[in-house]
Amino acid sequence: MGLTSLDKIIALQRNPANTRNLCILAHVDHGDQEYLLNLIDSPGHVDFSSEVSTAVRLCDGAIVVVDAVEGVCPQTQAVLRQAWLENIKPVLVINKIDRLIMELKLTSQEAYTHLQKILEQVNAVTGSLFTSKVLEERAEKEKEEEEKEKEKDGDQVYDWSTGLEEADDSQLYFSPDQGNVVFASAIDGWGFSIQQFAQIYSQRMGVRAEVLLKTLWGDFYLNAKAKKIMKGAQAKGKKQLFVQLVLDNIWSLYDAVVTRRDKEKVEKVVTSLGVKVMARDSRHSDPKVLLSAICSQWLPVSQAVLSMVCEKLPSPLDMAAEKVEKLMSVGARRFDLLPEQTQELKKAFLQCSSGEDAPAIVFVSKMFAVDTKALPQNRQRPLTQDEIAQRRELARQRHADRMTADQTATENKMESLTLKDPKPEEEEEQKETFIAFARVYSGLVKKGQRVFVLGPKYDPAQGLSMLPEGCSASDCVPEVPYLSCCSMESLYLLMGRELEELEQVPAGNVLGIRGLEECVLKSATLSTSPACPPFTPLNFEATPIVRVAIEPKHPSEMPKLVRGMRLLNQADPCAEVLIQETGEHVLVTAGEVHLQRCLDDLRDRFAKIEISASKPIIPFRETVVRPPKVDMVNEDLGKQQKVAIIHQVKEEVTQGRSSDTLHVDPSGLVTVTIPNRMATVSVRAIPLPEEVTHLLERSTELIRSLEQVNMSLREGKTVDVSLRTMEAIAGLKAQLENLLQGRKWRNAVERIWAFGPRRYGPNFLLNSVEGYQRLSVWHCLGRGDKAGEAGAAVIRDFDNSIVSGFQLATLSGPMCEEPLMGVCFSVERWDVQSSAVPQHQDSLEENSISHEALANSRVEGSTKTSSEVEGTVAGQSQARRRPEAASADCYRPVSGQLIAAMKEACRRAFQAQPQRLMAAMYTCEIMATAEVLGRVYGVLGKREGRVLHEEMKEGTDMFIIKAVLPVAESFGFADEIRKRTSGLASPQLVFSHWEVISSDPHWVPTTEEEYLHFGEKADSANQALKYMNAVRRRKGLYVEEKIVEHAEKQRTLSKNK
Amino acid sequence: MSIFTPTNQIRLTNVAVVRMKKGGKRFEIACYKNKVMNWRAGAEKDLDEVLQTHSVFVNVSKGQVAKKDDLTKTFGTDDLTEICKQILAKGELQVSDKERHSQLETMFRDIATIVAEKCVNPETKRPYTVSLIERAMKDIHYSVKAGKSTKQQALEVIRQLKETMEIQRAHMRLRLVLPAKEGKRLKEKLKPLLQVVESEDFDEELEMVCLVDPGCFREIDELIRCETKGRGSLEVLSLKDVEEGEEKF
Repeated sequence: MGLTSLDKIIALQRNPANTRNLCILAHVDHGDQEYLLNLIDSPGHVDFSSEVSTAVRLCDGAIVVVDAVEGVCPQTQAVLRQAWLENIKPVLVINKIDRLIMELKLTSQEAYTHLQKILEQVNAVTGSLFTSKVLEERAEKEKEEEEKEKEKDGDQVYDWSTGLEEADDSQLYFSPDQGNVVFASAIDGWGFSIQQFAQIYSQRMGVRAEVLLKTLWGDFYLNAKAKKIMKGAQAKGKKQLFVQLVLDNIWSLYDAVVTRRDKEKVEKVVTSLGVKVMARDSRHSDPKVLLSAICSQWLPVSQAVLSMVCEKLPSPLDMAAEKVEKLMSVGARRFDLLPEQTQELKKAFLQCSSGEDAPAIVFVSKMFAVDTKALPQNRQRPLTQDEIAQRRELARQRHADRMTADQTATENKMESLTLKDPKPEEEEEQKETFIAFARVYSGLVKKGQRVFVLGPKYDPAQGLSMLPEGCSASDCVPEVPYLSCCSMESLYLLMGRELEELEQVPAGNVLGIRGLEECVLKSATLSTSPACPPFTPLNFEATPIVRVAIEPKHPSEMPKLVRGMRLLNQADPCAEVLIQETGEHVLVTAGEVHLQRCLDDLRDRFAKIEISASKPIIPFRETVVRPPKVDMVNEDLGKQQKVAIIHQVKEEVTQGRSSDTLHVDPSGLVTVTIPNRMATVSVRAIPLPEEVTHLLERSTELIRSLEQVNMSLREGKTVDVSLRTMEAIAGLKAQLENLLQGRKWRNAVERIWAFGPRRYGPNFLLNSVEGYQRLSVWHCLGRGDKAGEAGAAVIRDFDNSIVSGFQLATLSGPMCEEPLMGVCFSVERWDVQSSAVPQHQDSLEENSISHEALANSRVEGSTKTSSEVEGTVAGQSQARRRPEAASADCYRPVSGQLIAAMKEACRRAFQAQPQRLMAAMYTCEIMATAEVLGRVYGVLGKREGRVLHEEMKEGTDMFIIKAVLPVAESFGFADEIRKRTSGLASPQLVFSHWEVISSDPHWVPTTEEEYLHFGEKADSANQALKYMNAVRRRKGLYVEEKIVEHAEKQRTLSKNK
Repeated sequence: MSIFTPTNQIRLTNVAVVRMKKGGKRFEIACYKNKVMNWRAGAEKDLDEVLQTHSVFVNVSKGQVAKKDDLTKTFGTDDLTEICKQILAKGELQVSDKERHSQLETMFRDIATIVAEKCVNPETKRPYTVSLIERAMKDIHYSVKAGKSTKQQALEVIRQLKETMEIQRAHMRLRLVLPAKEGKRLKEKLKPLLQVVESEDFDEELEMVCLVDPGCFREIDELIRCETKGRGSLEVLSLKDVEEGEEKF
């Protein structure tokens, strides 16, 4: 197995029948035929199963390696599943058999049973894959039948077993007598399949090889007297044929060489095997050396595996029609529905011809980054004689030049030194080149050829209709969605780490392509024919779930980080990179190990800066709820106790702000007067029903466009709004009316004043002021726009201040400055003294001022500062008003004050109701086997998760659990669940909704039962309080927390300093 | 060789003294360290965790207890606990190490939060995260001043950060409508204040949409109001011109 010349490989590439696509290029002489093996090695860790997916797609066959001691691991199952999904044929290698001998000290008989068990396990996995597929197909068929049967009513009897019996699965399983299993110990250099021994013993014992082949594995034994091979070894307590003829020999060899170090016996064995052992090896102090010297000649592992690969795995020519159809039919589309021209391509696939006229079809399964220096054209080559001579000439000339320069002007030297062009910057950027990892399925690919790049959403029917007949990629192409053109700059043969440049690559081969990084992100289909459909996307076993926020160590290196993350995104099939609204750069990876590799790649290759990864910021929402009916220990709250609670709240409020500008009445109505006493406003906060909140959240876009229409209408312009939008708005209104029913919400929808925050959020302001009619937000629907004109003109001018105050209040709530959600603020009273209103007013100007105040008044955590601001504003206003009372300036602060007052009123009204925090929730789907179900529940419970339902997947022993989990608890969840279940459960997290956390962050025990249950301090974990304090601490807000818990337990300072 | 000798000075350890002058007399109480601020903020509710003893002193370090007569005369009561509470609430004290530390830390965070809220990365129009700003503040060795308001300090920080990293205040997007007559003249005056003019439409009125630094807003507002005598108008389209939503690479 030596390195072969490039020419030979090129020659071999032309013969697809002798090509096996499996990675590191190896070439073997096997019989008379020469084979080309493209062997792709893939990593074993779960996190990198995406790499497996990319490799599996390009292959026709796979070697599955199983450890003889550990048996079938979760990853083995995953790998088998992937091979199954991609329709590729696996062969099995059971490795590390030496561990059975040396570590576990099994006898040959025990080892046989052990191996048998492993084989059964592997076959069980394949079997369950097969049954689930059959059942699925059957279920589908049945569904179709049922639909047909619906019209007639025949009482059909369904027999579930029929489907399984009909389907043939004999080819599916691994069995040594089928020749698709190799037993090996790679470390000692041996490996064998049954065939090899069958041949050896057929000569020695005079039994036909075919008979031996069938009986060498299984419950057969050799009857020495009768010279017959009989069945039922186990029942009669005899040694199986496999044990007697195969394992015993190996065992005795190990015994002689390693355990007893019996020189004589070793010699005997060596001569009987006909193996030559070098004197140096036999004298070596480590017996392993001798062992591998003998074994590698007796039963070379390479030959065993390679001959199995060549015989059992299909060549590109034998690609199953089923696989082709599966590749070509994206999503749920059936193959027979594809355009005719596309269906014709199937022939090209099956023929796998590399003729000039065959359409070239290439699939790129991943992009990988290569150091530009490592590319063949940039690599240093040994120089030819001519080149050396040329260089010498050049150097001589340069030397001569320098001499003359030195003589003429020494002062010029300085300049010439500084003139050296500064271009390393440019070079550094080009350090990484992306190479596409691809396979040619049909046709001949040439260097520099132009091809179509088909995106995953490309539709061949659409493409064919838009492109002229017989159009090729080199022509100018009209705009077709998801189709682009590019040329393959160079083609490479992938030789492990090395790249060899090629001129052309025929069908059935794996190759590397340079020059696609502009148009291919991660994977793509390339073709010369526009009729080719894009291949089905890769199915990834692991989806990215571990989220971290990434930051550069030095803030000035931000652009480098962004560029690096872009490169990483392209190079890694399973990593996702996104920028969140908060400005965080989030990297999503498949697991902790994958994350570690991504970070290392970023640090060392793509960004080349120091970075730090941290927990991403978790968003929360604030809301109010109806007063609870029961207390924390589920005791009904009596009337008296209820009063006590309200009393307490009230006391707190009045104690905190016993000022004359603020009044809170027991029902939760808050009245705020602005500092110069010109206006008062009364607000009440009401919780919105859950459905309404959901509806508002869903229709964010709609409300935004509604707001735009309103704004332009207010300015007297007319805008063209599509009829559909108007209908949608009317629909939204109707839905709201439907949901908001009951006495409390009478006529509420008509009275909606504004939505917030940012004018389109899931909260609204309600106009409950008696006698104040204003245009409702729905006025663009064209109803009642005349009615809106009536009303107090005095207060209308301040309308915008109220809205701005509301927007500010909803943008950041009093609990931890997070946006509000599902809260309705109802303005119940609003008086403005007319003297506060100047004569000529411009409502537009009013608008602008309100915003200015909005910009300047940052939401203060402590109300004290904001009242100070108000105070100064009021002071200014009065000072200014004195000299010229009617000047246009004087109204300015009033609107500003009103904003502050409105905001304050909203916050107070919010605080007067029972407040709650809302947490973002993930829905989480977990696939787990029955044995680890309990541990999955354990992890979920620890992280405040809730199981919605679980069900068993038909035909397998897998359970599917659906649960919800707070985003705040999700950091490290995937990893923990994997660890606890030894990889047998894999969660998938998707953001689903906001959920109210039921515990009150400000809760303290009030009733007697609660005192009994929680104690006086109630310091048992209050989840909501924990979240709230974490957010407040992050934002630098005041956290009600003691600096030291126990005064007496502080460190005593020394007496004498 | 050490012989135990009584020292002539007794230092108080782990005692925080709160003093108050009332009625021309000085009163002191002995408290535990790092507790008084918590009491004032309402986080500590147990008085015994704050006071070392309920007695009121004239001088804590000398151990001189205040006379009962003086107490009743100045406070109007002889309930020592009540008097202690009054002194605790209004007296002056030296802030202890941990108290000061936590106060400065809170302010530091607050400043970083304000900066992160107000600023964007000019290249991407996206905000920076608070933790990044915090690190940048540490890099430029910014020290928090306890006496100045956090907002004031935040503006100071923004100015200093501009020297080391790509940062600027998020622009406001404004729409100006100016009457045709003054339009041209006013535009010249406004020009230096506007950062970017996004669109300009001159028919009957001059209508402009532009990005400005929030610091200039008042100036622009003033200018338009005075020059056009209330006929021109100004409207804020967005307070912060930032990218919204998530972006996938």
